[in-house]
Amino acid sequence: MFQNNREGLALALPAAVFTAILFLLPIGMLLSEAFQVDGHWSLRGYLDFASKPLNQTVFWRSLKLAGLVAMTSAVIGYACAFCIINLDGKNRGRIFGLIVLPLMISPVARTYAWIVILGRTGIVNDAIIGLGLSDTPIRILFTETAVFIGLLQLFLPLMIISLISSMENLPKDVIAASRVLGASWLQVFTKVILPLTKDGLVLGGTLVFTGSLTAYITPAILGGSKVLMLETLLYQRVNVANDFVSAGVIATILIVMSFGANILLKRIAAIRS
Amino acid sequence: MSSKWTSRIIIGITLTFLIGPFLIIILAGLSAGDFMTFPPDGISLKWYLKVFTVESFRASFALSMFLAVFGTIAALILGIPAAYAISRYDIPYAETIKTIVAAPIIVPGIIVGLALLRYLVVPLGFTVTLALFLAHTALVLPYAVRVVSSSLNNLRGDMEEAAVLLGCSRIGAFMRVVLPNIQSGVLAAFILGFVTSFNQVPVSLFLSGPGVRTLPIDMLSYMEMTYDPSVAALSALLAFLSVIIVFVAEKFLGFSRYV
Repeated sequence: MFQNNREGLALALPAAVFTAILFLLPIGMLLSEAFQVDGHWSLRGYLDFASKPLNQTVFWRSLKLAGLVAMTSAVIGYACAFCIINLDGKNRGRIFGLIVLPLMISPVARTYAWIVILGRTGIVNDAIIGLGLSDTPIRILFTETAVFIGLLQLFLPLMIISLISSMENLPKDVIAASRVLGASWLQVFTKVILPLTKDGLVLGGTLVFTGSLTAYITPAILGGSKVLMLETLLYQRVNVANDFVSAGVIATILIVMSFGANILLKRIAAIRS
Repeated sequence: MSSKWTSRIIIGITLTFLIGPFLIIILAGLSAGDFMTFPPDGISLKWYLKVFTVESFRASFALSMFLAVFGTIAALILGIPAAYAISRYDIPYAETIKTIVAAPIIVPGIIVGLALLRYLVVPLGFTVTLALFLAHTALVLPYAVRVVSSSLNNLRGDMEEAAVLLGCSRIGAFMRVVLPNIQSGVLAAFILGFVTSFNQVPVSLFLSGPGVRTLPIDMLSYMEMTYDPSVAALSALLAFLSVIIVFVAEKFLGFSRYV
């Protein structure tokens, strides 16, 4: 540890100043613009925004989809993480690699695949018609279902990784012990596994929830203008209507929720250590 | 044993859901027909080859490469000293500085792009390329600081103190003792930054201008207009590129330690 703090500060400041000028300053201005209507400070931008049915629909839809994706990924994540943790070392590394791999691939490429699968002439519709379940293709693309599937595929790996890392600290004999002592699998899960992996669940849940809430690519490709979410609505408000007040309101909602989730996360990490 | 099979089935279904779409997109790109269908109409490489001849893809690929390489280098130039200061000095306001530098990860990208455009790029008359370069640098900076910090924390501080005591200048000690020892961390930070920047969409959305856009944005607007398999072919090629980069990085650096 060097004692010359002025020297240290000189090394750290360029990065901090760069980020402050490029990020914090413009974002602060954008957020404050939502509180200004006709040159006065007022909450009218927020009230106007909240009074429009479309905005309400988009807000609740975003919360609902983000919540559903987080819950579904928790269910699949627990099952999958539990199976992976019980594999032997070599297979475990391989499977883990395959789970992490999609995170490095362009989200546009990842989402585009679902157009091929869910589209009118896609695999799912071919199967439905082939099985005689329907005569005409059913619409899956540009529905909430399509956005849900796309988001789940995009964010599930984050949940699985978080759960695996918390399960690695889980002593294996506690499960065997509780089984021997007569607990059912449901009891083992709710009374033993869940409390001991709470941190991983909260971390994964927060990452998946905020990721889904602030997603742009998935709703843009799989939802289009029919299934707007907060970010696609923001883009549309700016590009179609030049409406920077609504944009500021949506930005505030997104930032408050992201930071809220982040603070929650740090609190929980602090309790743990 | 039945539980072994249950476990295999659960892992199998999850992996099919996560990886399967890529296999489908690779095959869809191999179609000989003019529209996206699966299974493909015949097999040909024409869409994979066509991707290289589309002028806008070439231009946007070049821009994305430029931003990913030079944006990440700029982020490392800013980030390595910051990481060094955070791990080796007891600087005032260290927590505040860390929070400021980490902010770009937490703030949703689309807001960053919009705010930059409205309050910095337009008033100061930046060109599109400069605006994108600054935004990508700021976006990659937190990753650079985090990864380099973690590799500095694994390196004992007394090595460079010894070098200084033996008559090396402070900068000399950093260049000759510290840098060679954190090489692989810096390389890992570069790869992570490169991938993050290259795949980035929301930040570049508002900043891209007419004729100047990054590859993912170009793909988004191309797929709105046409429904031919070229985007599938391009997506498959990008996926291959990522897989190769990650595979090589894992092999030589143990990349997953840093992510």
